[in-house]
Amino acid sequence: MAQHRKRPWTFYVLASFFTLFVLFLYGPMLAIYILSFQGPTGGLTFPMNGVSLYWFTALFEQQRTGDFAGSFTRSILLALLVMICTVTFSVMAGLAFRRRFFGSTAIFYMAVASLVMPGLFLSLGIGLIFRVIDVPTNWFASALGAQLTWTLPFGLLIMFAVLSRFSRSYEEAARDLGATNRQTLQYVVLPILFPGLIAVALFGFTLSYDEFPRTLLTVGPGNTLPLEIYAMTTTVTSPALYALGTVTTVVSFVAIILSLGSIAIIQWRRGVRFRK
Amino acid sequence: MKVPSSVVPYLQVAPLALILLVFFGIPLVTVVVVSFFDYVNFQTVPAFLLYNYEEVFSSNLTVTLYLTMLKYSVIVWLITLFIGFWVSYFLVFHVQSLLWKIFFFLVCTVPFWTSNIIRMISWIPVLGRNGLVNQTLMNLGLIDEPYDFLLFSDFSVIVAYVHLFTLFMVVTLFNSMARIDPAILEAAVDAGASRWQVITQVVIPLSKTGIALGSIFVVTLVMGDFFVVKIMSGGQSSSAVYAMWNEISMLQYPSAAASAVILLIVVVLMVVAILRIVDVRKELSG
Amino acid sequence: MAQVGGVELANVTKRFGDTLAIDRVSLIVPPGTYCCLLGPSGCGKTTLLRMIAGHEAPTSGDVRIDGQSVVDLPPAKRGTAMMFQSYALFPHLTCLDNVAFNLKVRGVAKAARRKQAHEMLERVQMDSFADRVPAELSGGQQQRIALARSLITNPKVLLLDEPLSALDEFLRLQMRGNLRQMQKEFGITFVHVTHTQMEAIAVADLVVVMDHGKIDQADSARGVFDTPRTTYVARFIGGQNVLGGKVVRVESGAALLEDARGNRFTVPAGDTAPTAGETRYLSIRRDRIEMEKLADPSAARGDAVNSVVGKVWMTEYQGSWVKVSITLPDGEEFVANIDDGTFFANPVREGDTVSARWSAAAVHSLEHRESGFDTSRVGMHA
Repeated sequence: MAQHRKRPWTFYVLASFFTLFVLFLYGPMLAIYILSFQGPTGGLTFPMNGVSLYWFTALFEQQRTGDFAGSFTRSILLALLVMICTVTFSVMAGLAFRRRFFGSTAIFYMAVASLVMPGLFLSLGIGLIFRVIDVPTNWFASALGAQLTWTLPFGLLIMFAVLSRFSRSYEEAARDLGATNRQTLQYVVLPILFPGLIAVALFGFTLSYDEFPRTLLTVGPGNTLPLEIYAMTTTVTSPALYALGTVTTVVSFVAIILSLGSIAIIQWRRGVRFRK
Repeated sequence: MKVPSSVVPYLQVAPLALILLVFFGIPLVTVVVVSFFDYVNFQTVPAFLLYNYEEVFSSNLTVTLYLTMLKYSVIVWLITLFIGFWVSYFLVFHVQSLLWKIFFFLVCTVPFWTSNIIRMISWIPVLGRNGLVNQTLMNLGLIDEPYDFLLFSDFSVIVAYVHLFTLFMVVTLFNSMARIDPAILEAAVDAGASRWQVITQVVIPLSKTGIALGSIFVVTLVMGDFFVVKIMSGGQSSSAVYAMWNEISMLQYPSAAASAVILLIVVVLMVVAILRIVDVRKELSG
Repeated sequence: MAQVGGVELANVTKRFGDTLAIDRVSLIVPPGTYCCLLGPSGCGKTTLLRMIAGHEAPTSGDVRIDGQSVVDLPPAKRGTAMMFQSYALFPHLTCLDNVAFNLKVRGVAKAARRKQAHEMLERVQMDSFADRVPAELSGGQQQRIALARSLITNPKVLLLDEPLSALDEFLRLQMRGNLRQMQKEFGITFVHVTHTQMEAIAVADLVVVMDHGKIDQADSARGVFDTPRTTYVARFIGGQNVLGGKVVRVESGAALLEDARGNRFTVPAGDTAPTAGETRYLSIRRDRIEMEKLADPSAARGDAVNSVVGKVWMTEYQGSWVKVSITLPDGEEFVANIDDGTFFANPVREGDTVSARWSAAAVHSLEHRESGFDTSRVGMHA
């Protein structure tokens, strides 16, 4: 439509503003990715003293940088666990919320409250409960639960958005054509919602993988990666810190590209061409 | 086995509700209860005391902390709102191709899925005394001495907040604006509205929900911040949450709980104030 | 082929909370009938269709298909198939897989179900689109896939919810002919919900005019058009002028009415004997009106029975006829469809005063029932 029409001057002003914003968003991050390849004698700021992978190998020397390998594995496992729980439970809950049921409003508000709650508040509360019941906190129970109070509300809200575009007539059509409830879910509802489920999974994984305050008092003896990084900001004054930043960001980007890429492919197969 | 259809929603919602109850509801109550407890020799003792609250309120430090946090909240809110509004406005109304629109929107949201701490510390090599900004300014001959106020100052704290939280404004405002039928804007122009009037009379009123939701995110995130103030101010300022963390480190759970409850009340009051201005629920369902 | 798919509704009532959506409806649709449920938004037609399909349960009453009660059966066991308003084609499946869906959930082997689905696609002339997904098809093509997907279940009754509403005008005309042809070919019953009068009249053997959860008239297309039972049907179907007046006297099987302006009409007495003083209603088809321009408007009032006098406020050329809209002195509209030859031999213009006349034989007696098109119910299950 009217691509050839002359753009108003505001377009150029706002386009410049947007470009500056993107620079602001990504510029500093690029700086640390570059700096993580500092030579062995390089410091925390430019200029680069040569280019090397020195600081990446330094990550694996536990004495110098803390328990990188352990916290990395723990973070990934926890993020996968959170992702699975988030997808399963928020999809189920999303389906439930399509009908009015007693207590639905209360649960909705609880989810929203859980989302805006200061993270350390919950961390403290969960930590206290585990002290009271005299169970040591650990990453796969208390930290998992703490992170779910953050990812589940996100998942639920995404499901609301996804389901608001999902017509009930698909299910009625399936039932009309003889599908059982299970077949309707398996062959119709879940496949149609699949791109939405990937989005929920992406949120579940990355929010958990980067979570800090809720994990702080609930993770127990072994740190997750963000906690490790936080500890390093005060103790490590070498580009190893940046190398760690680069590694975590690569993981995040792999998750993002996998998710968004598969959503794009699915939508493309379904004939959703982004025509103007 | 056949489950009656009226029971199905309860079964479907049960896991989510249970998790929220156990890991949100009960901890919430626990913290409130503990905030009235006593502590003696690093031991928490059940009691009903207002002492912890008295202690928090009588401390000048608390007042300073909250005033600082409020100051940051307001400044960050204004800046993120300004940026979020114009970025969304550009994406929704000026980018014509849907494909580019989606691409640019994703460009704005991708950092959300990466680590906040990393994004925060990435400002250190940029703003530091020998950082990129100072180096550039000195190479250009604009300054002789590096600026010190860039890092470990209010300035760097605000830069980091804006960097971390603007995308909440962008996403919520983009959603609101994307729902506005472009024909409405054309109708306003046909009716003689200037470009500016279209924005103030049509776009802003129709983006109220997005503004409110974005504001709630930004304000609660700043108020609940743990490490940005601490690190980016170079230890000069502290956040309410960080003060709480100090009490926790000293095993003073009851007073930490009292701080947590006060923080929660402040945050809730701010959210309620925003919701009083815009009825988000009505707008969302409508 | 023996025709199947007789649908019988016995005293069916449906409530949604406090709202009475269907009020004691009884209807018999003979096997192999093309039946249209016609009415404005919110009249309950879609609810009725969904109850036949099994997507809603009646609050009371019985639904029978070929004599067997189906109210306790799930949708797939009723011998019905439904074609949804926006077709509800599964967006993630190709056309072939959409059509084969019923066979898949019934456990038919892959090769067999693909073969059957291809055959069905051929019958709707869509086999060349087998590997496309629905989003790549036009509205008309999607409708054929939806039709194929429904028909592969070998239904006795096909239920169509506003099947033409998603199409543009040109396709609508084409597809409605297509539907009619399919119904003949498969020899099953079609129950088709629509709010468009001309659509119903064009395709249906049986037109069921509904309003406020009740059936006003169930008749042949010609029946509802030519001999509407009530004032509501006459007005809703259109093509009729509806008049009313008080009975002045009754003679030789006809009543003489007089309206508030003193116009006098005769109306056949009908089943119930008219009594003097009661109000009676009648309709006259618009194309049965003769019209004459009055040179002297003041001389208009006469003793002529079966005529009205009014001012022309609009003439619309319709091709083979001209629609002349006349405003009566009390503001009511009266319409005469005049054959174009007749009209142009003696044309009238806007503002002219005319007298409109009709023969006593063209008059049809109506029962009084008004709808008021209650908008508060619109959108419920429209």
